[in-house]
Amino acid sequence: MAGQPVIDEDKMKLVQELEIEMMSDMYNRMTQACHKKCIAPKYAENELGKGEAVCIDRCVAKYLDVHERVGKKLTQISMQEENFMKGQPKPG
Amino acid sequence: MQVLPTDVDKEQVQSFKEFLTSYNKLSETCFVDCIFDFTTREVKKKEDKCAMNCMEKFLKMNQRISQRFQEFQMIANENALAAAKKLQQ
Repeated sequence: MAGQPVIDEDKMKLVQELEIEMMSDMYNRMTQACHKKCIAPKYAENELGKGEAVCIDRCVAKYLDVHERVGKKLTQISMQEENFMKGQPKPG
Repeated sequence: MQVLPTDVDKEQVQSFKEFLTSYNKLSETCFVDCIFDFTTREVKKKEDKCAMNCMEKFLKMNQRISQRFQEFQMIANENALAAAKKLQQ
């Protein structure tokens, strides 16, 4: 990545590990959420119903979509906050 | 002699941990959704059937979610690559 400050290898590795951990946490949460939203707790069959399958496809797409939206908004807000804090005189 | 954990060990432990966690979650889900009769200590035939279906369905759901997730990831990667190429030009 050009123009970025040089980060040493250890820090890179830590960031990467954190990213993987976060991704897997997100994945697990998504699985739980979509199970709850799409699978009726009546287990008369061991196959996914057609409706359930379609629901899962949409659920995954929507979850990732919302994940991205929330991330963008969060970044935007925290950047605003940071800029605001910079403009503010230090307390005390 | 001291045995130092290698990266492979760490990965294996991590994936084993993940397996156990999902096992715990799965049995909790299927117990909550399928077991209602507490007049007997026996797991009823109906309850057993429900729990087994619950587990199989969960595995199939997991497969499907992982498939879809991978598809999304591939598309996201392609988009990122295309954007990077555009920036280079």
